[in-house]
Amino acid sequence: MTAVAERGETEARQTRAVTLPLKVRDWALRTPKAIAMREKDYGIWQEITWSDLWEQVTAAAHGLLALGVEPGDRVSIQSEDRPEWVILDVATVAVRGITVGLYPTNPESEVKYLLSDSGAKIHLAEDQEQADKVVPILSDLPNIRKIIHVEPRGFREWRGDDRFIFWDDFLEMGRKHREENPDMLEDLMSSAEADEVMTLVYTSGTTGPPKGAMLTNANFDFCLNTLVSATDRLPGNILPHPGDQILTYLPLCHVAERIFSTWTLAGYGSVLNFAESIDTVQQNLREIQPTLFFAVPRIWEKLHAGILIKGKDATFFKRIWFGAGLRLARTIGRRKVANGGEHTLGTRLLAAIGYPLVFRPLLERVGLRRVRWSASGAAPIAPEVLEFFIGMGVPLYELYGMTENSAVATYNPVGRMKLGTVGIPYPGTGLRIDPETGEVQTKHAGVFKGYWQLPDKTAATFTDDGWLKTGDVGEWVDGTHVKIVDRIKDIIITSGGKNVAPSEIENKLKTSPFIKEAMVIGDRRNYLTCLVGIELDTVGDWATRRGIPYTTYRDLSEKPEVLELVQKVIDETNQDFARVESIRKFRMIPKELDHEDGELTATQKLKRSAMEGMFADLIDDMYGSRS
Amino acid sequence: MRGRPLLYTSYEADSAMLPSASKKVAMGVLLLVAFTLPLQLIPGLKWLGSNPWLVVLGQALIFAIGALGLNILTGLAGQVSLGHAFFMGMGAYTAAILGGETGRGVVGFGLPIWIWLPAAGIVAALIGILVAPTAVRVRGLYLAFVTIALVFVGDHIFRNLRIVSGGPGVGRTWPPLEVKLWKEEEPLLAVSSDGSWFGIDFSRQAKQYIFLLGLLIVFALFHKNIARTRLGRAFAAIRDRDIAAEIMGVDEVSYKALAFAVSSFFAGVSGALLASFFGSRTPESWDLVLSVTFIAIILIGGAGTTAGAILGAFFVVMVPRLVENFTRLLGELTGGEGVLAAIANFILKSGANDFGLIGTSVIGPGLSTFQVNLLLYGLLIVVFLIFEPLGLYGIWLRVRNYWKGWPFSY
Repeated sequence: MTAVAERGETEARQTRAVTLPLKVRDWALRTPKAIAMREKDYGIWQEITWSDLWEQVTAAAHGLLALGVEPGDRVSIQSEDRPEWVILDVATVAVRGITVGLYPTNPESEVKYLLSDSGAKIHLAEDQEQADKVVPILSDLPNIRKIIHVEPRGFREWRGDDRFIFWDDFLEMGRKHREENPDMLEDLMSSAEADEVMTLVYTSGTTGPPKGAMLTNANFDFCLNTLVSATDRLPGNILPHPGDQILTYLPLCHVAERIFSTWTLAGYGSVLNFAESIDTVQQNLREIQPTLFFAVPRIWEKLHAGILIKGKDATFFKRIWFGAGLRLARTIGRRKVANGGEHTLGTRLLAAIGYPLVFRPLLERVGLRRVRWSASGAAPIAPEVLEFFIGMGVPLYELYGMTENSAVATYNPVGRMKLGTVGIPYPGTGLRIDPETGEVQTKHAGVFKGYWQLPDKTAATFTDDGWLKTGDVGEWVDGTHVKIVDRIKDIIITSGGKNVAPSEIENKLKTSPFIKEAMVIGDRRNYLTCLVGIELDTVGDWATRRGIPYTTYRDLSEKPEVLELVQKVIDETNQDFARVESIRKFRMIPKELDHEDGELTATQKLKRSAMEGMFADLIDDMYGSRS
Repeated sequence: MRGRPLLYTSYEADSAMLPSASKKVAMGVLLLVAFTLPLQLIPGLKWLGSNPWLVVLGQALIFAIGALGLNILTGLAGQVSLGHAFFMGMGAYTAAILGGETGRGVVGFGLPIWIWLPAAGIVAALIGILVAPTAVRVRGLYLAFVTIALVFVGDHIFRNLRIVSGGPGVGRTWPPLEVKLWKEEEPLLAVSSDGSWFGIDFSRQAKQYIFLLGLLIVFALFHKNIARTRLGRAFAAIRDRDIAAEIMGVDEVSYKALAFAVSSFFAGVSGALLASFFGSRTPESWDLVLSVTFIAIILIGGAGTTAGAILGAFFVVMVPRLVENFTRLLGELTGGEGVLAAIANFILKSGANDFGLIGTSVIGPGLSTFQVNLLLYGLLIVVFLIFEPLGLYGIWLRVRNYWKGWPFSY
């Protein structure tokens, strides 16, 4: 290991690995008084310094030891993003345990599956809501020893129940244990092996039950070194540093947010600011004005729609001004994108005009003014949205990666970005596209160890020569950049034998601020159809402006005016695609899709097979009667 | 953190008086301009630094202190009071007894300012506490009537207690604005006579202006600190809904008493300063008109805000003088030729048969400038209550929010 060499031959032990807790400890020793995290509580951003953080991590780690956690044991966490999530995560790895993250939105049935599959020994249920999901199924989970809860509210009825322990009491217990065994944690941390599993990240499970991907300490180390420090990944090649502000708001159990938040904090000391909740992200963005910002396409789309609506709502003079700004941004965006994401002399001049008049105050309002690097990933995004933000002056790059390769696959380098592609492979990593199936395959030290207790599935994800099969169809663009077409399983083959990538069409549809969900159907069918779900906020706003009364989501969806609106969007989209790829019919989804109802995964991805079953009548209707 | 004005990491920062660097700079510039006004340095503002205008400004500063007091009671705690003149009179006569000289049928102990000025406030505050329990019993309009009664009670006392007030139409003299240690001849700080400070020659008016400006700053800080801390939040809770405030643990009786006490303290000090500033006052001057003037100040300026009360005081004190100057200007214009002369002629009423609004002669026909001012007050109060309840400050807020929201509207 390279880090061993840096530490000097004398003190280094051959097995010693670079781990998450060791990195955190280094920061605590180097800059104990610096701010590591902020959490908004009681109306202000409460600050946590590195020394506070490390004290709590060690207390939590000793608390785990006191509860009998041994190396290799699993500790599960079901909570919204908050400092305790990160503290327990680091503490678990410090005692050589394995962290398992659950989405706060996981319903009881999925919680049961995840906890029994991982065999977690300690579970953190943030509050009463999360505890309620575990308590009824506790008899089926013999491994669970203790449930830690962070919020005291609502636990009155379980007071005195020794299955539960309150976070503060847990830390207190750990502190006592720490006094009695001062060297225990240090010994454990330094004995960690490089190929030891540090976390299980469950895949979102668009098909079948979620699988726990095992990521190791070596994966962590590789990810920090490769993912972030690749040439031109960040503008000016300035690595993340303690002056950088990060807003942590996406679920930490997802690999993208874990790397972007926890691992960047540990590796580069950037400050994590925890958003109050997903609903307050826009407000929190404005307050924090992050310098590094990662978002999934859904968030970018929402920001985009929000800007357009607010602009429309402005007073007459401001509206004219805003409209001019938008046109300017579009021009700048188009030219910058054509120039690899960099300014040309012309766009620089245009931006110099637009920045003080529109872009600067607008970005300040949205919270993106100080962003020096931002990215979209975890799902495909429409190029129009990227172009919009690039035109406004937000350095936005699309990335590609997946849980199984520690999110290390491709990135759009600064100055060499190509719109519509996910960029170039990271230097020093292997990436190839299978000539027969078109599947993207990767090979590097960040590739996971395997699926938890699923050796067959693990074997199936690797090729015979040891490459990881991503399950995505890709193609080379200009021989350097990779373009992802779709998931292999999602590719539609029409009865005419034509291959169609539905996500391309769907994303095009979703660039309209009115459309939230779109699912293109047509596998083994004569023509393509689509299920459409509207965005309640924007369509509701649109209807109000036109004086169209409505009551519920369903009622609004089925208004003839709304159908016309959607038809117009579909017609526009159809113009961009070949005839075989045009959507002939569509039906409105009568409800807002939800994770708990099984239509979406925790990451808001469509579960296609489930959707097809659930809305079979709508689909049959589109293909049934010939009209 | 730098460049992130909305990122508060402590409650101190959240409730800071001047939360951003630009506000600090703006306030610094404003204070600098205010203090150097008598030096007549800024080209466009030289006229404001002249002695006649400094007297007007001095009066405005004193009114501002009084208005800040009423603002605590009416603007923050929501208790409409028309008795402000009474508390001012109480303060003024306390100052007169303690600081004034015996003679011509009145008593006075000739004590220095550091005794009579605070005492004026304290006596008024104590009377305020006595009045406060009424405010717990009656609300809104009824409280306004009860406090009107105070003005008439005061009027009666001041007229008849000749040994203190000197009697109606006569009045008495007040202690001058002078800082003395005790009763020595040479004052420590001569405010009410021409002389030099820090090697610069100042007129009497300039010195008084600077002295009063200093006092206003002290009281404005006092006011701002009340408004942004626990006390102010309790007052605001009572204003918004007294029953709800009690449920939250705000003790209505004691907080209303406190509001009256603090407000009366400001009023007492302001009354004492006013009398001392002009040297003499008759007992009739502490009347309902004075109370209404203060209501006008905070309604025009903006109820509940520190800046609003000060802004309102300057506006209400300076407008009559501006109207006067305007009338004089019109008078000069009528002599000339052209469109302006015609307009001036149209507005002015020079004789019984001349059409016009404002009369030029001292006694009718037409409205006197005083009457025009009264009309203007009434009109302004009506307009502000209907269109801009937050007053002048509200207009400023609206202008600021327009640019703050750029390029959106919310």
